[in-house]
Amino acid sequence: MSYISFENINKQFGTNHVLKDINLEVEKGQLVTLLGPSGCGKSTLLRCLAGLEQVTSGKIFLDGQDITDIPPRRRGIGMVFQAYSLFPNLTVYQNVAYGLKIKKMSKLEIEQKVTQMLDIVGLSDKIKQYPAQLSGGQQQRVALARAMVTEPKVLLLDEPLSAIDALLRKNLQIEIRRIQKQLGITTIFVTHDQDEAMTLSDKIHLFHDGKIEQSATPEEIYAHPATKFAASFIGNYNLPVVAEFNKAFQCDFQNESIAIRPEIIVLSKEPVEKTEQTLVSQGVIKGYTPHGSLTRYNVDFDGLQLNADVLFNNNMAFDVDDRVYASIAKDQINCF
Amino acid sequence: MNKHSHKSAYIVMTLVIIWLVLPLLATIIYSLFEDWTGIIPKGFTLANYESIFTNEDFLTSMYQTVLICIIPIFITVLIMLLALFVVTVYFPKIEKYVQILCMIPYTIQGIILSVSILILYANSESFFGNRMVMLLGAYCIIILPYIYNGIRNGMRAINMNMLLEAAEMLGESKIKAFFKVIVPNIISGITVSSLLAVSLLFGDYVIIRNLSSTDVNNMQQFLYQTMKRSSTEASAVFVVIMLITFLIAAIVLTIQSRSSSEKLKETGK
Repeated sequence: MSYISFENINKQFGTNHVLKDINLEVEKGQLVTLLGPSGCGKSTLLRCLAGLEQVTSGKIFLDGQDITDIPPRRRGIGMVFQAYSLFPNLTVYQNVAYGLKIKKMSKLEIEQKVTQMLDIVGLSDKIKQYPAQLSGGQQQRVALARAMVTEPKVLLLDEPLSAIDALLRKNLQIEIRRIQKQLGITTIFVTHDQDEAMTLSDKIHLFHDGKIEQSATPEEIYAHPATKFAASFIGNYNLPVVAEFNKAFQCDFQNESIAIRPEIIVLSKEPVEKTEQTLVSQGVIKGYTPHGSLTRYNVDFDGLQLNADVLFNNNMAFDVDDRVYASIAKDQINCF
Repeated sequence: MNKHSHKSAYIVMTLVIIWLVLPLLATIIYSLFEDWTGIIPKGFTLANYESIFTNEDFLTSMYQTVLICIIPIFITVLIMLLALFVVTVYFPKIEKYVQILCMIPYTIQGIILSVSILILYANSESFFGNRMVMLLGAYCIIILPYIYNGIRNGMRAINMNMLLEAAEMLGESKIKAFFKVIVPNIISGITVSSLLAVSLLFGDYVIIRNLSSTDVNNMQQFLYQTMKRSSTEASAVFVVIMLITFLIAAIVLTIQSRSSSEKLKETGK
C-alpha cells in the first residue's frame, strides 16, 4: 500500500457532488500536486485528508492506518493555508513554537527546533516580529516553518503562493522544493497554476469536475495529455476542429479531438517539403505576442487559426501578413 | 470650505458646547458653595464632598454599584464568547437568529423589562425569585447587545474559522485554540464593549429601583435619596457620578484610539 491512499472518496455539500469516486495514491517523500481550475474539488480533497472536512463515503489511509474518522489534531498532518493564518497576537518565534508547546516539549528543545527551522526558511532575524510587520512572502515562510517544525507525516499546501507577487512566487517555489527535498517530507500541493505544478512536482494529479482527469509526471502530462481537457489546461495547446485541420494540412485524422503544442509547429519563410512523418501547410501571420524568451505567432491557414512558438533571437522572425510555411511532426500530435 | 463657513461652524460648535457644558459647570459650582440664591454664589466649601465621602451609605452604594456592574458583564461576556464560538464553528446557519435575539434588548425599555421580570418571578420561591438574581439577570439582558456586537465584530475582523483550523492542524483542540488564539485577538473589542456596558449600568435607576430589595443600592438611588435631604449635597453626588462616567469614557476612547493606531501601524498607513 502507498504512504497515502484515498479509496473511493466521495464528498457532497448538499446536492453538490464535489468529489466523485476519487482513488489516489501518494508515495513517501514525494511532492505531488493537485492541479485544476477553481471549484474542481482539489482543495476539498486536501481538507478531507487534513480532517477539516468529513468525507461522505470512502476511506483515507496514511502510513497504513485508516484516518478517515480521526480528528485533525491527531492525524499528524501539517498544513499551510492560502491566507497564511498566522496567529496575529504571537511573534514569529511564538507562532513557530506553538505546535511544539502543544506536544509538551522542553523549552530548550523548542528553542533549538524553532531556531533551526527559522534558519532553514531564512527568517532567523525576524523571530521577535509580529506577523503584521512581515511581508506576504515572509509570512508564508513563517507559516511553512510552523507547519514543518512539528515534523508532520504529511505536509499539505493549499495554494500557498497565490497571494504573492510573481518574482517572489518563483523564488518561493524553488525554496519550497529545496526544503521539501532537504527534509524528505511527503507533500501535497494544491494549485490552479500549471507552471507552478510543473516546477514543483514529482507527480501531478489533474482534477476536473470532481474527478481525476490524469495522473502523471510533469513531463508526461505536458507531452501526452490524456484528454482534451488536460490538453486545454496544461500548456497552451492548439485544439483545432479536426475537419478544418484535415482540410488545411491535407491529412485524414478520424479522432474526435486533436491537440498540438505551439512549439512543435515549425514556421519557415522557405518552402518545406512534406514527408511521411510531417504535415505541411502554408499560412499567413495574423499577429504575435512576445513572451520574453519566445514569441507566439498566430497563423491563419485558410480560416484555421493556430498558435506557433518561435524562440526569440534578438529580432522578430516574422512580421504580420508574412506568408509562412508550417510543418508539424505527425507523431507529436495528440489524438483523443 | 471657505473662511466664512469655517467661522460659522466654530460659532455653532461653541454654542453647542456652552449649551451642554453650562449645566454641568453650574452643578459643580453649586456643589462647591453654601448659598447660591443671588447672582454670585457665597461661602466656598468642600463640606458637601466631605459629607458624602465620609457617609458610609455613599461608599456602600459605590461599592455595590461596581459589584452589580462587574458581575453581569463577566457573566454576559463568558456566555457570549461560548455561544458565539459554538455558533460560528458548529452552527453557522443559526447565527442570524442569535443576532436577532441579542438585538432585541435594544428595543426593551427598562421599566417594561423590570416589571415583566417581577410579574414572572416575584412570587417564585426558586433561585430566580431572589431579588439579586433578578437584578443581575435584568442587567445581563440590558447589556447583551453591546457585548454581542463587541465580540462579533472582533471575530469578523480576524477570520476566526481559519485561525481555529490552523491551530487544530498544530494539534490544538478547538475550544483551547479559541481561548488561546481567538480571545487574545478580540480582547480590545471585549474591553470596549464591557466599558460601554459599565457606563450603561452605572446610570441605571429604573431597573434597580423596581427589582432590588432595599439593602441593594446603587449610586443613582443614593443620589435620589440625597436630593430629598440637601440639594447642594445632591449636586456633589452628581459631580462624583459624572466624573466616574467621564473616567470610563476616557478609558474607552484611549483603548479605541490605541487599537486603531495599532491597526494603522500594522497596515503601514
